[in-house]
Amino acid sequence: MTKHGLVIDQERCIGCQACAVSCKQENNVPMGQFWNRVLTEGGEKMDTPSGGYPEDGGSGSLDMQYQPTACQHCENAPCVKVCPVNATYTRDDGIVEIDYDKCIGCRYCMAACPYNARVFNWDEPEHMPEEGTGDVEARPQGVVEKCTFCSHRVDEGLDPACVVNCPADARIFGDLDDESSTVSKYIDKYETDQLLEDRGTDPNTYYISGEMSPGRPQTSDKMESELDDVSPWSDGDDDVPSEEADSVGGESSGSSHSVEGGEIPYATPAKSGGDD
Amino acid sequence: MTAKTGSSRVAISSFSGKGKLWIGLLVALMAAGIAAWGYQVTTGLIATGMRNVFSWGLYIMMFVLFVGLSAGGLIISSAPKFFHSHRYEGFARLGVLVSLACIIVAGLLILPDIGRPGRIYQFFTSPDFRSPMVWDFGIVLLYGLLNLWYLWLLTRRDLAARGSALALGFKDTEAGRERDRTLMFWTAAVALPTAVALHSVTGWIFATQVGRGDWFSPLVAPVFIAKALVSGLGLLLVVSVLADRYTNFEVDHEELTSLGKILGIFLAFHVVYLLAAERLPHAWADHFEFWAIMSNFLIGDSVYFWLWTVVGGAVPLAMLALPPLRKRVSVIFTASVLAVVGTMFEGIRLVFTGYEVANIDSAPGISLGGEYTGITTDIWATAGAYTPTLVEIAVTLGIIAFGAFIVTLGLKYVPIQRVDAEPSYATDGGKQDQ
Ligand code: SF4
Ligand code: SF4
Ligand code: SF4
Repeated sequence: MTKHGLVIDQERCIGCQACAVSCKQENNVPMGQFWNRVLTEGGEKMDTPSGGYPEDGGSGSLDMQYQPTACQHCENAPCVKVCPVNATYTRDDGIVEIDYDKCIGCRYCMAACPYNARVFNWDEPEHMPEEGTGDVEARPQGVVEKCTFCSHRVDEGLDPACVVNCPADARIFGDLDDESSTVSKYIDKYETDQLLEDRGTDPNTYYISGEMSPGRPQTSDKMESELDDVSPWSDGDDDVPSEEADSVGGESSGSSHSVEGGEIPYATPAKSGGDD
Repeated sequence: MTAKTGSSRVAISSFSGKGKLWIGLLVALMAAGIAAWGYQVTTGLIATGMRNVFSWGLYIMMFVLFVGLSAGGLIISSAPKFFHSHRYEGFARLGVLVSLACIIVAGLLILPDIGRPGRIYQFFTSPDFRSPMVWDFGIVLLYGLLNLWYLWLLTRRDLAARGSALALGFKDTEAGRERDRTLMFWTAAVALPTAVALHSVTGWIFATQVGRGDWFSPLVAPVFIAKALVSGLGLLLVVSVLADRYTNFEVDHEELTSLGKILGIFLAFHVVYLLAAERLPHAWADHFEFWAIMSNFLIGDSVYFWLWTVVGGAVPLAMLALPPLRKRVSVIFTASVLAVVGTMFEGIRLVFTGYEVANIDSAPGISLGGEYTGITTDIWATAGAYTPTLVEIAVTLGIIAFGAFIVTLGLKYVPIQRVDAEPSYATDGGKQDQ
């Protein structure tokens, strides 16, 4: 079985909002709505840190991090369980999706989602330009919509738009059921959190913080599972502490996929025309 | 219940000038409500005060209130029947009528909250039985039908005697009366658990949600039952006093006082006991010093909290507890009104506690989904705020007016009381002899 998941490396994230904007473009998200938001963990305002400067007796405790937040594609998704008409459902590959033909617009799912990941079309959705953008049909007034993990791209073997367009390679998409996938290995190797873990929703989105990972390995807009050549990513020696290789050993190193030495995963430029 | 000498009365024999004015007012409110709903359907729910961060508002708050209000009448009329008692017989039919009107109002209040009302049929074609909303849909429907059946069962023999078409061809016979008594017992036996289920399931709509603050609490369902008892009985008392005053409906003063006492007990259980049970563990766990625990336990947070506990709790409780006051009709009436109003604020508070605070409130926050123009130039919010718009208020008032209209029609066309000798009437100032 496949279970799509996303790992977001908050240490790599530079807060550029590229994922938020590409999501809006790709998915034709109406004006006034965002499926994907880059939040600032720190001060009161966007792009401001908490704490004080280390000068004039200040505390020197400045701190700031970005937390890109979209639908977490929860395994135990409350939004799926509350939807009275089966409009919100979990696909076999773990993606939580909405059937806009069925949705009656009761917004129970919005009450259920602890992450405020869902938005509702309060009026006739407006798009700029008017004919819309990207590859997804516009949703009508009166339904709820949200991040789909770009299921239309995933179905064609492509990584989600926000993943491909992240200039910091901070977003890694892949199959959590496949132990040798990059996402599985990162979750194993780095300190990862799920948002609001205590709610028991068990999201398929994980956040790395603390130590920086090598980021997204592949160089094309194809999903990792679609790349038939061996992943150029080295899971071993350059970024990961060396004792890791000995201690965790065989389970996490995915043996045959690894490449010797300190090869840089993103040496070749991504293919152009990544829109489709 | 020896029906031979018995006859029945309707509360309104014909509408007087005041009655016509009342009907006119209700019709005007309903018309305004329909117009407002029409406007909302064409412009979308943008016409309401709800946005992505606060996505349920007045309609759901009032839905919660009216589900609760629908409890009182049915319980007051079916509980004695279940125990083969004639107590509160004079309130039985009016009670079921009020319950029926309230559950209809509650059901209708969901319609304007739905983004695409045209798709409601999906409830039948594609239901997900995991959803508490599906359970609630089922139980509200069942409860409505049960009320309708019960009202008809209670009155059909009098309807038949009056030759009303509402008897639907039913004939008043000796054997039929015997059968009706058995049917009433069994209907009462079904009605009580159905009422409990209705309020629990409505509570579980909220209580199952992990993402909305205080909603996620096992106490919500019992609290919903308690507040249904309080507000439902409160409304029944309000309506009976009004009906006594303005129509031929007659209230037995002794029974009214006795129901007032019961309301006081319900209030004490609900506002004092259950609330304390809900708050103490949190106050204790969150604070260290004795006085910190106590003050957190006793002192609430929002204005809705105070409106509910003091105006809707402590004050009416005191009114119903003080011996010199509690026998006066005006006192019972006022206390009942306050109990209903307090319960309304409790529902409002419940919805607010779910949406006021966002679990993840980092800047810039949640996109609101409104236009860039409007009150704020910003599309972001990190906390929930909500004020209903005129459209929402007009739609809600229209639906409530429809409920009042149903009650009024019921008072006109349904024999609401029997006037034959019943034990309870003997105490009523000798009205029988006159
Ligand atoms: S993040 Fe929210 S919308 Fe997405 S699956 Fe979880 S509960 Fe549902
Ligand atoms: S708003 Fe739509 S998707 Fe959400 S719970 Fe209601 S019907 Fe389901
Ligand atoms: S996966 Fe697709 S829909 Fe989800 S946030 Fe990224 S771009 Fe948006």
